[in-house]
Amino acid sequence: MGKLREAAIGFLFLTVLLSTPQAAIAQTPEESHKNKPSDLPRLADGHPNLQGLWHNESGYQAALKNLKGGGGLAVALGDFHSAGVPLPFPYWPITKQIQEYRDLHDPYHDPEAHCHLPGVPREIEQPSSLFPFRIIQDEKYVVILYEYTHDVRIIPEDGSSHPQHYWAWDGDSRGHWEGDTLVVDVTNFNGRTWLDMEANFVDENEHVVERYTMTSPDTITYAATVEDPSVFTKPWTMELELKRNPAKDQIVYYDCHEGERDVEHYPKSEGNAANPHD
Amino acid sequence: MILATALTIAACPGPQNTGARVNDPATGSYSPPRLSDGAPDFRGIWQAQGTAYLNIEGHPAEVGVRASPSVVIDPADGKIPYRPDARRKQTQNYQSRLTTDPAINCFQAGVPRAILLPAPFQIFQSAGNLAIVYTDNHSYRIVLSPSIPHDDGIDFFMGDSRGHWEADALVIDVTDLGDQTWLDAAGNFHSDQLHVVERYTLLGPNTMKYEATMTDPKIYMRPWTLRVLLFRDRRSSARIVEDECIDGPDGVWHHISPFDPKAVLHHDYPAELASERNHP
Repeated sequence: MGKLREAAIGFLFLTVLLSTPQAAIAQTPEESHKNKPSDLPRLADGHPNLQGLWHNESGYQAALKNLKGGGGLAVALGDFHSAGVPLPFPYWPITKQIQEYRDLHDPYHDPEAHCHLPGVPREIEQPSSLFPFRIIQDEKYVVILYEYTHDVRIIPEDGSSHPQHYWAWDGDSRGHWEGDTLVVDVTNFNGRTWLDMEANFVDENEHVVERYTMTSPDTITYAATVEDPSVFTKPWTMELELKRNPAKDQIVYYDCHEGERDVEHYPKSEGNAANPHD
Repeated sequence: MILATALTIAACPGPQNTGARVNDPATGSYSPPRLSDGAPDFRGIWQAQGTAYLNIEGHPAEVGVRASPSVVIDPADGKIPYRPDARRKQTQNYQSRLTTDPAINCFQAGVPRAILLPAPFQIFQSAGNLAIVYTDNHSYRIVLSPSIPHDDGIDFFMGDSRGHWEADALVIDVTDLGDQTWLDAAGNFHSDQLHVVERYTLLGPNTMKYEATMTDPKIYMRPWTLRVLLFRDRRSSARIVEDECIDGPDGVWHHISPFDPKAVLHHDYPAELASERNHP
């Protein structure tokens, strides 16, 4: 992806963040048509054919380096894990204190350590093709089958609304197409998920808009804009590139049952730290 | 790539029948609607009825369990043809089922148990692709082409599935199931040698016949077959909802409905921070 492309996406984020989603629609077809749309595989309904096995080769950390501030400016980060540079998530002071405290003292609170579903956008985290995911798509649905912890996201494209009184680890996803970009609106989170192993977190007010833009038959640009007014002062956006796995690859079913045994091995003071009802 | 296109086309009359919902006057059999590649269209949300999930074999009424005949169609006596020592093990499983059923630990159900459960599953299908997504424990199976070898030597809770078409029936060959799952809640079980052949046959727009033949020479005297009917959830609002287990304070895992207000954790951040600092 060239610098011009990055700049264009940065502009698109700015547009998303400063305008209504409807206003952003007008930008998308023009944007995606820069990607030689005639080269993309397509289904009978004309949409890009996203089907196949994909992985995030750049990794989540790299994606977070591309974290865009609420003003649409790219924030250049070092390796925050080794350098200890705090992420520029736009926390409120109190939520920042909680993140810092948990990162230091309560890493075992990480829901993924207890085999829970990772939520969105964390599911895309899977490092360097270790955990790919398969997309199956028809005119009514996109379904994403993740190797990691046999997570599944079913994304209806029927114009239906999010449910009421429904709270889930992965939220509720509804999709639509803006030109050649699959846009997935995700709400209805349960307030329990973390964004990464550094205790960055979201709560039940999280709202994600994901954009899957096929840039070649073997690459998809993934962008997620996350807003959560009770955790963050303003929305932020991350992006990364998804690459198609070699044709011989397949999902090796993954299961996670470490949870309750894991807890037993924690220091007593951590006890049932996993239990959100404690 | 998945269900090989050559196979789907070879086995089917052709794409001209797309959308057809007629009974074949010659055979009286149902001719299902088809995808663009000619494959019968199995898409939708389906669910078994009955109590086979509690006990595949015939069983009397108990507290919370309706009496039911066996869903085993072969052998004709409706009994799973266990080897004698395996039947004794099944009896032990039954007696200890409230504490030893693998499902209690939120393990994935396995095959064919996942199909029998009183929870819907959804079939996703496109030309050359088929996946089954179960409500229970967000399990799924991707049905690959037989041209891709089984991952022999690696066991999975939901096995390793290879599909092909026999006329309009979807036939799935399942291996690598391991020995960590039961077949139902009555302790009917298998070893890591289990080999399941499933046959899915559409009987009408909203009804499907499901048959599974189990072969496991370590446990059964001979292969045996069960049959249940699956019914389509016709509501336009029907959805597979997230089903996740939560580890409770007593170390016991339990499913929590995303429609349960307890599913959501509301936050009081100042109180949480104070609480965490008081209990480092």
